[in-house]
Amino acid sequence: MKWNIPSLEELEDKIWRCTACGNCKVAYDFGPPPFFGQICPAGVEFGFEGNIASKGKVAFARGIINGDLEWNEDLLNDVYKCTVCAGCQEQCELDHKPFIPEIIESMRRKAVDEGVGPMPAQKVIAKSMRSFDNPYQGPRRMRTDWTRPFKKAKAPIKDIMKEDAPILYYVGCTGALNVPVRNLPVATASIFQKLGLDFGILGENEVCCGSTAMRIGDHEEFKRVAEHNLRLFKDLHDNHGVNTIVTSCAGCYRAIKKDYKLSEEYDELMDGIQVIHTVELLYNFFKEGKMKFTKELPWKVTYHDPCHTGRHLSEFEIDEDGSEAWQGAYLRKKDDNCLFDIPREMLQSIPDIDFREMERIRNNSYCCGGGGGVMTGYPDWAAKNASLRIEEGESTGAEQMVSICPFCHYNLNQGAKRVKSPMRLYDLVELLDMAL
Amino acid sequence: MTKTPQNGNVDPKITKALQEIVGETNATDKIHIRYAYSYDLSFVERKSPDYVAMPTTVEQIQKIMKFANQEKIPVIPYTAGTNIGGLCIPEDGGILLDLKQMNKILTINDQLHYAVIEPGVSHAQFAHSLAKYGFRWSWPVGPPSASVSSNALCHGIGGMSGRYGLNSEEITSMEVVLPTGELVRVGSCAIQEDSWHSCLPLPRMDGLFTGWLGTTGVVTKIGLRVHPMPPYLKVFTTSAENLGDMASYCRTIGNYEICDDITTVSWWLSQVPIPYPYKPKPEDAPEWVSFATTFSWTEKERDAREEIWQMAMEEEKKKGTTVKEAVYPEEALKARTQLPSRIVGSTKNYTKQAGGGISWPGTFTPLDKWEPVYNEWKKILTNRNLSPSVRATNYRGVHYGMLRAMIPFPKKDPDAVENARQGIVECLQVVLDNGGIPYKPPVDFGVEINKRAHPGYLSLMKQIKNMLDPNDIMNRGKLGV
Ligand SMILES: Cc1cc2nc3c(=O)[nH]c(=O)nc-3n(C[C@H](O)[C@H](O)[C@H](O)COP(=O)(O)OP(=O)(O)OC[C@H]3O[C@@H](n4cnc5c(N)ncnc54)[C@H](O)[C@@H]3O)c2cc1C
Ligand code: SF4
Ligand code: SF4
Repeated sequence: MKWNIPSLEELEDKIWRCTACGNCKVAYDFGPPPFFGQICPAGVEFGFEGNIASKGKVAFARGIINGDLEWNEDLLNDVYKCTVCAGCQEQCELDHKPFIPEIIESMRRKAVDEGVGPMPAQKVIAKSMRSFDNPYQGPRRMRTDWTRPFKKAKAPIKDIMKEDAPILYYVGCTGALNVPVRNLPVATASIFQKLGLDFGILGENEVCCGSTAMRIGDHEEFKRVAEHNLRLFKDLHDNHGVNTIVTSCAGCYRAIKKDYKLSEEYDELMDGIQVIHTVELLYNFFKEGKMKFTKELPWKVTYHDPCHTGRHLSEFEIDEDGSEAWQGAYLRKKDDNCLFDIPREMLQSIPDIDFREMERIRNNSYCCGGGGGVMTGYPDWAAKNASLRIEEGESTGAEQMVSICPFCHYNLNQGAKRVKSPMRLYDLVELLDMAL
Repeated sequence: MTKTPQNGNVDPKITKALQEIVGETNATDKIHIRYAYSYDLSFVERKSPDYVAMPTTVEQIQKIMKFANQEKIPVIPYTAGTNIGGLCIPEDGGILLDLKQMNKILTINDQLHYAVIEPGVSHAQFAHSLAKYGFRWSWPVGPPSASVSSNALCHGIGGMSGRYGLNSEEITSMEVVLPTGELVRVGSCAIQEDSWHSCLPLPRMDGLFTGWLGTTGVVTKIGLRVHPMPPYLKVFTTSAENLGDMASYCRTIGNYEICDDITTVSWWLSQVPIPYPYKPKPEDAPEWVSFATTFSWTEKERDAREEIWQMAMEEEKKKGTTVKEAVYPEEALKARTQLPSRIVGSTKNYTKQAGGGISWPGTFTPLDKWEPVYNEWKKILTNRNLSPSVRATNYRGVHYGMLRAMIPFPKKDPDAVENARQGIVECLQVVLDNGGIPYKPPVDFGVEINKRAHPGYLSLMKQIKNMLDPNDIMNRGKLGV
């Protein structure tokens, strides 16, 4: 399969478009009233210009391309100490803006290609991917552990390879294998059953989406699983009636919706299949009046926007042929695909819920600290950063924090534990399931 | 492109000493970290510091300065490095003192309308906090992440300079660590610890630290006047065929002192982005467009300001100039009235088309010299295939103003960078010979200034510098002396 995954060298022109103005270092909205906030977790923790935002990453990229910087452990660490949260991308206004996460990841791809990346702790991910098709070293059979209560309750979940269904619930490795977040697939399937949806899962046959591998620069491993999945999805569509893939993981969602598009065969293989996040699917039911909340939930709740269902889904209009401005220029950005409003609207529709916003939200949301391989590579820092977000949540007076990403969920929980916060983490579907 | 010095120049003992002062994670000699401080957006050639230290307290700065002074190691104060003059690029290696972690807003005095802040406070942070009190500051068009105090220290200019003058004229008091490590205060806070309202009436010593490009001391606290934010904004926009006519209008409207900002820009600068390389102006487009911002407390006051503006326009009509009411390009106008703003302002407008680089001959030049200097600039720049994207503004009424050309260039092409550098320096020579004074001058400019300076001025400057910084450690080489 042919992939258009750019190398660092292919991005050279973009790398030189950065002005080093540093706009990317903080979140700022003109207002009124004006808003300011820290946006870069790496910058907050490590502080030097190279560590902060795309300005710093571009400096490294220039040095590497120029031959001024050679790989060593310190440089590698600083290339990998970035959650690829795209907070900096959101702030930048220059023409390389659409490519900022690519610039960061292409340095990692180069490091992997040259045999120096990823970081030692992350090599476990790469190895696990090869042995188990998931980053958690979880044996394949564990993927269905969460379905036991359904079997017990005589409401088993379809194995889509055996029984056809129009909806594939693509569970994702984190929900299936990371024990502290297993409530997520359970709640998802519970709601689906309450709504009477005809859906199935891949169970033991599910293979990682490749998101984590891509984020840490292991593009060969990403391509391996992505190609497998793309062909599998086509087969499911052609032979098992699947026309919708639902994912409850922000990482899977971003990977399938965005990274898989880098394959030249994407359109052909995904023809007739829509990829949708669980909350989008539920929102459609909710809007049609088919999902009614009957129970009250008198909780004080705040909402954390995951990067991968938020600003990572921004779409950029680029003047490829130079007809509007000049070749390759970034013209406009559209946030229609970003899941900012839907989760908020659904949360606030739960009877008796007391919803409170944090300061940094939506495009300016502060990353949980777990993305970009950081949770594996630098777990202490990931948890430390998550505790900053937890404290921000606490300052609203909220007692629960809700998100729609199992990665954020896990990492924010680690953060809460770290600062002994009473804040409890939930996935939105858990609340929706409780209220139904 | 020069190579970054490898760690051969670096003495691990010095790194260790710095780490002992600021903590292990706040000082480094790692090459890639130094590399990220080795360039800015200007034409100034890339050079790396040998060490980077991020102090968090005044005491740490004092210790670093004492140490550096004893070891004769250069120290470069840095907040965001967006000055567009390579002012934080070390001429001679040394310790880059990154002050961004000292970012507390210590006071906002809503009775006496001043604020006291640390050097790392950015315009974005200041705007956020001031808005809660209904206050504003003279925001530059620059990046919101840049430092408010550095901007004031460098004679920065902003959206209220037409009325109140340069941002350095808004300084009320300062605390400074001298190159020797001594802590000094200038202004009212020198007499009473918590009194930050004024630099007057004592002998004004704020001038020992403003405009010196970080070569005389490290400012650790600064008091600044802030201003209430009136609710009504009215912007008057005009055009003219030549800068002489436009300067006449700026002087007339400036006479009445009703505007916070009176700015005119050439057609090339009003484009978003500036054309690169040079593109001729369409015949039917006026060469100059201007905006004048007025703020009012009531609708009546706003209308009265409009009446005065009409009066000024009548005066110009009588002179038979080409000035007329016009539409100012929307995005360019937003870039100058909605400040600070990452969306509409700063680098996007300037460098988008060229790619990554921008520098300028930035000067304080009185209105009567705008036109002759611009005409020369236009020849110099267009000969080099660069747009004459020029801005002219009058300050504090009419007696002085700014004349500057924003010159974008593709940073990855050394020949194009050199072409821009030469063009800018030639422009600077013209304006210096016409009595203009460059601000935030890169070393290239410093050399040109000093060639023309009165010997007494140069001698005094050297004496002061020598007195404050006997071992010449502060931002060594930046003054071009
Ligand atoms: C696109 C663009 C547009 C701009 N528009 C404007 C504008 O309209 N008006 C304007 O005034 N500026 C403008 N600037 C310039 C710049 O943004 C401002 O002057 C800014 O405030 C400088 O802040 P900084 O934090 O980047 O300072 P730096 O570049 O870090 O420092 C500037 C100088 O101050 C010295 N210094 C820093 N901290 C201290 C300290 N604590 N004590 C002593 N010396 C110190 C440094 O050594 C250096 O010489 C613009 C810049 C850009 C990129
Ligand atoms: S990445 Fe964008 S915002 Fe950041 S320094 Fe570069 S141009 Fe400025
Ligand atoms: S992607 Fe996020 S963590 Fe990485 S540099 Fe940008 S803001 Fe910082």
